[in-house]
Amino acid sequence: MFTKRRTVLAAALMLGTALAGPGAFAQQTEVDVLLFSMPSTLGLQKLAPDFEAETGIKTNIEVVGQDVFESRITLSFTGGTGDIDVVHTPAIQVQRWVEAGWLAPLTQTLSGMPDRDDIIPATLDSFKVGDDHWGIPFFAETGLLAYRKDLLEAAGKQPPTTWEEMLDVAAAIHSPDTAGVVMRAAPGQGFNMFVFPMIMRAYGGEFFADYPDDLTPTFNSPETLSALDVYIKLLGEYGPNGVSSFNFPEVVAAMQAGQAAMTVDGTSIVSQAVDPQKSRFADQIELALPPAGPAERAPALAVHGLGVSASAKDPEAAAKFVAWATSKETMTKLALNEAYPDFTRASIAEDPAVKEKYAGIQADFLDLRIAALQEARSDYRPLLPTWPELGAAMGENVNAALNGMMEPQEALDAANEEMGYILGQ
Amino acid sequence: MGKIRLNGVNKRFGAAEVIPALDLEIEDGEFVVFVGPSGCGKSTLLRLIAGLEDMTSGAIVIDGKDVSNAAPGARGLAMVFQSYALYPHLTVAENMAFPLRMAGTPTDLAQTKIARAAEVLNLSGYMDRKPSQLSGGQRQRVAIGRAIVREPAAFLFDEPLSNLDAALRVSMRQEITELHRKLATTMIYVTHDQVEAMTMADKIVVLNAGRIEQVGSPIELYDTPRNLFVAGFIGSPKMNLIEGQEAQVRGASVIGIRPEHLDTVAEGGWEGQVMLAEHLGSDTFMQVETQAVGMLNVRMDGEVKARHGDKVRVAPKVDKMHRFDAEGLRLVH
Amino acid sequence: MTSVRASAAMDRSYKLMLLPASLAVGIFAVAPLVGMFVLSFTDFHLIRGWSGKIGLQNFLRLAGDARFLSSIYVMAALSFFGVVAQVVIGTAIAVGLDRIVKSWRFARGIFVIPFAVPHIAVALIWLSLFTPTLSPITAFFATFGIEVPAMLTSQTGAIAAIVIADTWATTPFVMLIVLAALQGISPDLDEAAAMDGATRIRSFFLITLPLLYPTLLMVALFRFIETLKHFPLIFVMTSGGPGRATQATNYYAYVQTFQSSNVAYGAAIAVFLFIFAGIISFYIARSNARLSDA
Ligand SMILES: Nc1ncnc2c1ncn2[C@@H]1O[C@H](COP(=O)(O)OP(=O)(O)OP(=O)(O)O)[C@@H](O)[C@H]1O
Ligand SMILES: [Mg+2]
Repeated sequence: MFTKRRTVLAAALMLGTALAGPGAFAQQTEVDVLLFSMPSTLGLQKLAPDFEAETGIKTNIEVVGQDVFESRITLSFTGGTGDIDVVHTPAIQVQRWVEAGWLAPLTQTLSGMPDRDDIIPATLDSFKVGDDHWGIPFFAETGLLAYRKDLLEAAGKQPPTTWEEMLDVAAAIHSPDTAGVVMRAAPGQGFNMFVFPMIMRAYGGEFFADYPDDLTPTFNSPETLSALDVYIKLLGEYGPNGVSSFNFPEVVAAMQAGQAAMTVDGTSIVSQAVDPQKSRFADQIELALPPAGPAERAPALAVHGLGVSASAKDPEAAAKFVAWATSKETMTKLALNEAYPDFTRASIAEDPAVKEKYAGIQADFLDLRIAALQEARSDYRPLLPTWPELGAAMGENVNAALNGMMEPQEALDAANEEMGYILGQ
Repeated sequence: MGKIRLNGVNKRFGAAEVIPALDLEIEDGEFVVFVGPSGCGKSTLLRLIAGLEDMTSGAIVIDGKDVSNAAPGARGLAMVFQSYALYPHLTVAENMAFPLRMAGTPTDLAQTKIARAAEVLNLSGYMDRKPSQLSGGQRQRVAIGRAIVREPAAFLFDEPLSNLDAALRVSMRQEITELHRKLATTMIYVTHDQVEAMTMADKIVVLNAGRIEQVGSPIELYDTPRNLFVAGFIGSPKMNLIEGQEAQVRGASVIGIRPEHLDTVAEGGWEGQVMLAEHLGSDTFMQVETQAVGMLNVRMDGEVKARHGDKVRVAPKVDKMHRFDAEGLRLVH
Repeated sequence: MTSVRASAAMDRSYKLMLLPASLAVGIFAVAPLVGMFVLSFTDFHLIRGWSGKIGLQNFLRLAGDARFLSSIYVMAALSFFGVVAQVVIGTAIAVGLDRIVKSWRFARGIFVIPFAVPHIAVALIWLSLFTPTLSPITAFFATFGIEVPAMLTSQTGAIAAIVIADTWATTPFVMLIVLAALQGISPDLDEAAAMDGATRIRSFFLITLPLLYPTLLMVALFRFIETLKHFPLIFVMTSGGPGRATQATNYYAYVQTFQSSNVAYGAAIAVFLFIFAGIISFYIARSNARLSDA
């Protein structure tokens, strides 16, 4: 009954967007894969013949832009067109999709995988909903600190290991030419809410009373307030002019142009700061683990994996593809073929060829990355179905506080109330 | 008052000299008509006087005041455009009030002036209409009304009647003449219509390539054209111009005879054949091909029985003959 | 007699020829609208689906939604200042170009360039101009020791920034339309006004401007409806920030539909926008008709 109604509405929605996915008819065993464009997914597309040779299963891998991706899956899943078997699954979507019944569990596939312990736990757990795993990770981004070695040395400062020290170092090196620190601040679950939880967790702040069992929001706790004060002080006093609207491109640009001395951001961002092709100060910028706090070190985590559609034509073949794509062999090949230091198996960092390839970024870059990932929590951003909405509510209020439009406590209270409303809906 | 003097007025558009330095006097209350072939600079000269075009050099003096650098509105002149140039979004009354509004005339005084002008021009019933709701003749009258209310030193007209049909043109022509008599204000009037020029003007200025060929009353120009250009331009049908033997016999390089000064005769004259005969009742126009002097335009009073192919003899009235020298200038007896 | 019958036949065949186009318009233009209206009366949620409920609940919720109300304020500011700036500047440039008759073709080419830039590129260009660390403008003033304040960190500044970017990109459109209208106004009128003693300025305000008025009204209406649809500039330049200070109504509809999965509520906001635009257009079109009638 319910699903029938949903189908009717999905049809209305489909009319509404006047978009339809092409249907696929499988004669032999075929797997239709929908991915969105990243170096690793494009690389995977190139390796597809290997899979066919190994298993005799034909794959149709479609790699699309992120915007197209959104409408494709919405139509395919709500409309039940069955034209997607394996789907690019950002961990952040997993609970939503599971709740909507769009995914099939991969727990069995996972237990059948020979070297599953090699998969970094936080990345794997990102796909755990209830007792099942609903995706297998192939991409993980974490947070790292990037700092200007020369400026810190000149000021006689060691690289900060805590946020407290970061304030101190920023104060010491801040100058009209080079701001002490730059971090992303633009409102959004994927913008400021990608970095702020690193501070929040370091100070012991939590989103909920006891995730995932008790979802009473606790975003206005004294711990989170301390974290917000640090964030505001760092950017307000030691950030470049206009920083409180910066998103990651502005952060990268400021580091590359030497307009800021330190940042904490995702691995893909900080590695651009040390890229000699792009950064004027590449040789002066060092990477390190993100600062910790009184409670813990909480490196950011963004994971993408592969999931199997609940309406897959041949779930077994689809699962086979997922296992192959996330295997150590495939991942190592991708790490060597593409710009892909974002693998999710720890052992690949030990591979000499891979090590050598990424030593250009920084000799110990892969090790730092693995170390950060080992410390990361799978619930860095709680992966509730309502996360996009929750993250927006928090991000927007945090940004308002950063821009002085609200008092920090007021902003946290407002965010907390909105979270309650969203969850209680 | 409206005495206008042009001293060495000269106009170039880039490299092209449209008006070589030119002098002209226009007396107060005179009706002056500028005629000349298309492109000779009539409009340009009028616009220079109006101030709508900047002079390259020279001076324009109106009532003793040098207005060479004055803005168009400050010269005390009013202009009536060929296109009427009525403000389409304003009513007839508002159109006529516009110059007064610009001059800051008090409202009640303005009202009186507008009412009087409307009366004169028979526009009283249309005051609340927009220009688009008027006929061509009515629009023309509004344009004139807008000029009248300012009580200008002189009116400038640039082919004001050329958009009207023939009948309306005749009656508007008379209205303007009538108006000139009533107001006794200087008027400068551009036209290429011979009849307008001859009937309306106190003084005609014949222009050719920006130069003044002759200035004079219509009859002066008709009777004593100063040169071949004026002789050929004034008068319709055109004066017959004869070169060669017949001219040399009379001590000129060209002789001119107006069609109305040729008669058919039984003996003597020039023998020829009627090529074309137009019978208007009041007049008969003929084209006669002669051996001696070529094609002649002949105009006879009343109805003359003549048909294509008839043999006729035509002779000039010798005392009405015009003689011109090799430069084209008139020879006096 | 025959001609009447012939024209009737012609009429019929025209209608037949119009059929495919009408169908296409029907499907591509009307169907999404119908879908939107239908959705707005449901409680369809992208994840939770539809409970079967139908009613006015979404519209009732709108009335009490503070974020919706403040989004209208943002939209009003973006529309008002944007349309005014675009019409005033576009008209000013058009009038300027109309005078420089000789070189206007060339000049028009230059002024039209921004109009050809895609929305997203416009947003990126202005984002960097308003980002102090990237902006050549900031760098230029910095050489004189003047610090240009950051625009995107306050509501007023961010709204101004979006209005400026929008104005830069769309003024050429206004300019082109006004230029075309200006060229339809006889130059005799200006000369007549000059003879009547009007200065250039009075002649512009008393003659040219009133004659442009219907055009300006139409172009303002056009721009107004476009500004109701503000999205790429907000999305790229401010992400709706600072805080939520630049979440205009259309952006808020996006937030509700795609971020919060409240498809039905998002549709209700879209319906509101549609009706709002319709009412305003109707009034403007009516006053325009009255103007050109008189
Ligand atoms: N703005 C201008 N730029 C360049 N040349 C011009 C301009 N206005 C007029 N001319 C030239 O000046 C000459 C005189 O033009 P004008 O309009 O005065 O002639 P006109 O005697 O009024 O002719 P018509 O009887 O056809 O109205 C023409 O050769 C014309 O091409
Ligand atoms: Mg002319």
